[in-house]
Amino acid sequence: MENLLEVKNLAVSFKTFFGEVEAVRNISFSVKDSQTVAIVGESGCGKSVTANSIMQLLPMPPAFFKGGEIWFEGENLLKKTDKEMQKIRGNKMSMIFQDPMTSLNPTIRVGKQIVEGLIHHHGISKQEAEEKALEMLRLVSVPQPEKRIKQYPHEFSGGMRQRVMIALAMVSDPKLIIADEPTTALDVTVQAQILELMREIQKERGMSIILITHDLGIVAEMSDKVVVMYAGQIIEEGNTKEIFENTKHPYTAKLLKSVPRLDMDKNEPLHSIEGTPPDLYIPPLGCPFYDRCDKAMKICKDNMPDEENHSPTHKSRCWLNHPLAKDQERRSS
Amino acid sequence: MEPLISVRNLKKYFDVGEGMLKAVDGISFDIYPGETFGLVGESGCGKSTAGRTIIRLYDPTDGELIFNGKNIYDLSRKEMQEVRKNFQMIFQDPYASLNPRMTVEEIVGEPFDIHDIYKDKKEKKKRIMELLQLVGLSDEHAMRFPHEFSGGQRQRIGIARSLALNPKFIVCDEPISALDVSIQAQVVNLLKELQEKLGLTYLFIAHDLSMVRYISDRVGVMYLGQMMELADSEELYENPIHPYTRALLSAIPIPDPEIQKDRKRIVLQGDVPSPINPKEACRFVDRCPYAIEICHKQVPEFREVKPKHFAACHRALEI
Amino acid sequence: MDRIDANLNKELQREMFEPADLSNRDADKIKRPSIKYWPDVWRRLKQNKLAMSGLVLIVGIIIIAIAGPYMNKFDYFEQDYTKINLKPNSTHFFGTDELGRDLWTRVWIGARYSLIIGILAAAIDFVIGVLYGGVAGVASRRVDAFMMRLAEVIYSIPYLLVVILLSVVFSKEGSGTSLFVLILAMTLTSWVPMSILVRGQVLQLKESEYSLASESLGASNGWILKKHIIPNTLGPILVNVTLTIPRAIFAEATLGFLGLGFQAPNSSLGSLANDGLAGMAVGNAYQLIIPAILISLIMFGFNVLGDGLRDALDPRLRK
Repeated sequence: MENLLEVKNLAVSFKTFFGEVEAVRNISFSVKDSQTVAIVGESGCGKSVTANSIMQLLPMPPAFFKGGEIWFEGENLLKKTDKEMQKIRGNKMSMIFQDPMTSLNPTIRVGKQIVEGLIHHHGISKQEAEEKALEMLRLVSVPQPEKRIKQYPHEFSGGMRQRVMIALAMVSDPKLIIADEPTTALDVTVQAQILELMREIQKERGMSIILITHDLGIVAEMSDKVVVMYAGQIIEEGNTKEIFENTKHPYTAKLLKSVPRLDMDKNEPLHSIEGTPPDLYIPPLGCPFYDRCDKAMKICKDNMPDEENHSPTHKSRCWLNHPLAKDQERRSS
Repeated sequence: MEPLISVRNLKKYFDVGEGMLKAVDGISFDIYPGETFGLVGESGCGKSTAGRTIIRLYDPTDGELIFNGKNIYDLSRKEMQEVRKNFQMIFQDPYASLNPRMTVEEIVGEPFDIHDIYKDKKEKKKRIMELLQLVGLSDEHAMRFPHEFSGGQRQRIGIARSLALNPKFIVCDEPISALDVSIQAQVVNLLKELQEKLGLTYLFIAHDLSMVRYISDRVGVMYLGQMMELADSEELYENPIHPYTRALLSAIPIPDPEIQKDRKRIVLQGDVPSPINPKEACRFVDRCPYAIEICHKQVPEFREVKPKHFAACHRALEI
Repeated sequence: MDRIDANLNKELQREMFEPADLSNRDADKIKRPSIKYWPDVWRRLKQNKLAMSGLVLIVGIIIIAIAGPYMNKFDYFEQDYTKINLKPNSTHFFGTDELGRDLWTRVWIGARYSLIIGILAAAIDFVIGVLYGGVAGVASRRVDAFMMRLAEVIYSIPYLLVVILLSVVFSKEGSGTSLFVLILAMTLTSWVPMSILVRGQVLQLKESEYSLASESLGASNGWILKKHIIPNTLGPILVNVTLTIPRAIFAEATLGFLGLGFQAPNSSLGSLANDGLAGMAVGNAYQLIIPAILISLIMFGFNVLGDGLRDALDPRLRK
């Protein structure tokens, strides 16, 4: 399968009063056709910055690219002009946000918002566009689309609004959808509806999805591949099964153990990750997880671990992978 | 055992112009000393309003709240001041619940200033530092402002403030839903630890059912202002009776790809209806896959279906 | 094993892989320097070049308005018929008017009055607006509604009408409008926007979680107002005051220009512009242009400063 999207050594920083904050530090990953890639991590780990870098929606300044390439369909997006990006955005790739209310215009009827995008990107007639808009609302299972199309966003419930957002994102049959916490603002029963809808549409249209979330349950349900970010770096990456069953990085392991599961024993203690991620205005010299890791070794403090491949799809960045660490473990046990 | 708090037929209506918004419409339950009572439901089900009415941040429309043998809704403002010290609240949004112009020391010390407890400044400072240490912060944080902290740290500051007056009962209003997963465990563990150390009783309001199961001894499920089901947490999660509880439980994704792929789930259609002027019927009837005629005509009674397991469903015994 | 090893060249010793000493780690440490609120606002304001140029402009104008009239030997009322309508030159920096009075002196005296009027009007707006809006914000719903309707009625009275009426009532024959009457007339209606702003802020902050937290700790309304609401309202109020000053100055200039301002030999920028209009007709454009430019500069200075302050205070832009 071909790589639809390839991020290579991307580095993004923000200029602030305190100095430079290195939000994304040299990350690389790829997304294949029809693949769902989940990016997980705590707030401030750089997952949203990564998504916004791909869409080039970062406010510049204060943000700026320090380096790297973003290859999408054989073209480097970072070399594109604003005008060229406008053609790609909302057309070949589109985004679904956490809060649909902020991305829908409250003063324009829902139907018109969809129609405008269509006319703008595809230059089709108004009538064709209106038919297509109806079709899109049907695709996302909005009941009574003929009536709904004439309504304003505030007349929709949260779940319905998110459906409209998905319709808007799907309108031009994009190759890639970036969903930034698409269900975080929704209730569980509505979340279940939206996730099911996204899966169905993907099956039908075959687009790739980058799913940004902190809910590991959603990751397990939706994704083929998982990218775990911490302090602006990718610390582990692999297909979903590898990440959940053959966890290599202590952070991923702790993250998995920190959520209570419906099927777990109630008396099991909940593993918490003490403290707070490092402030990236002074990024730590060594492993960024050092301050919160139970397995930290002397080397971790000031030396950045290298990337280690565990399988063709699975890699992690941790000193525990080093032969000397394994040796140490063997001797002590 | 005597309950610490008994809620009886609590109602809270808001006049919203187009009708009565029945946020809480007649709920009753007991909370026993030292236990954690979980209150779950989707947004708009009235769980937060219930929590706020219970500690009398809102005046109830109707109902009783028995604490220490007295109905606290009958107390005067002055008597209430004393009772207030026993009741505390931890808020959902750690960004909104701390005054941005106050230092951490001022925030945690505010309860002492309100009740004028310490005449001696040094003593007050000592107590504030104790409280900060209790939640894992240190004196280097005392002079800083809320915006310099992360969400989890802010929530810990809020917890320290709520502990200042040595309360018996704390309403935790979605204390972790605004936090990262890794931080949620931190705060939940802290709450559990404090409960053991200080003998606290919690009303834990949340929409995250897996977390509620983990922390609560008993759980109540609310929908559109009414209690749908109430039982010991193990019992509720293993043998849910009410169709709404069942749907809710099956909607939670389990972080395990193997289990998750084979799971059969009940996907409820539609959204939660409006709580303004609800009709006299089972509140869940429009979304219920088991609804029959009687469900459209009559509000089901909230009754003990099995020992210590309550549910409000006409078909509780059949389905 | 496939290693991409940048650390290959480093010498890795076995003992480096021993468990680290974890006792002195502190993941809760805050590395950034602590910044208090107002210094932070000032820091952001300083970064805004336009706002700073406005500030410099205002300070400059105030200094010259104080010192300017003493910088030459003329008095603002001194007439010299041998030197009428002189163009600006080295003795009369701004020239003279049709009565031979020195315009430099008159313009800066005028600026002095204009500034005094602006600042006094803003101060009165501030006091009345904050009190009225604050009371409406904390009062019961009915009192609030009454106060707001009353404010709306007052605001709908055109101030020009008020000025004319007041000057008829208060002024003696031929003496023109006094400073007192002018300010009274302008502030009689202009405090309304400030009170609406303050009321809105109070209503919003009253519902904020930190106010609720304080209430649940047993705080009185007065306490919440003093500790939580007022400190958090100061920012928007300050912006509004900064923007009220130029409005008042402009209002006064309009009145002066219409001949409703001070009577000669007193002057304000508006009445000077009015006098200048006559000069304009006979080819002495500078008599109008100089006061007009000064009015514009003052307006510009206060407006960009106010806008800059608004940006500097906006928490959404906080980084």
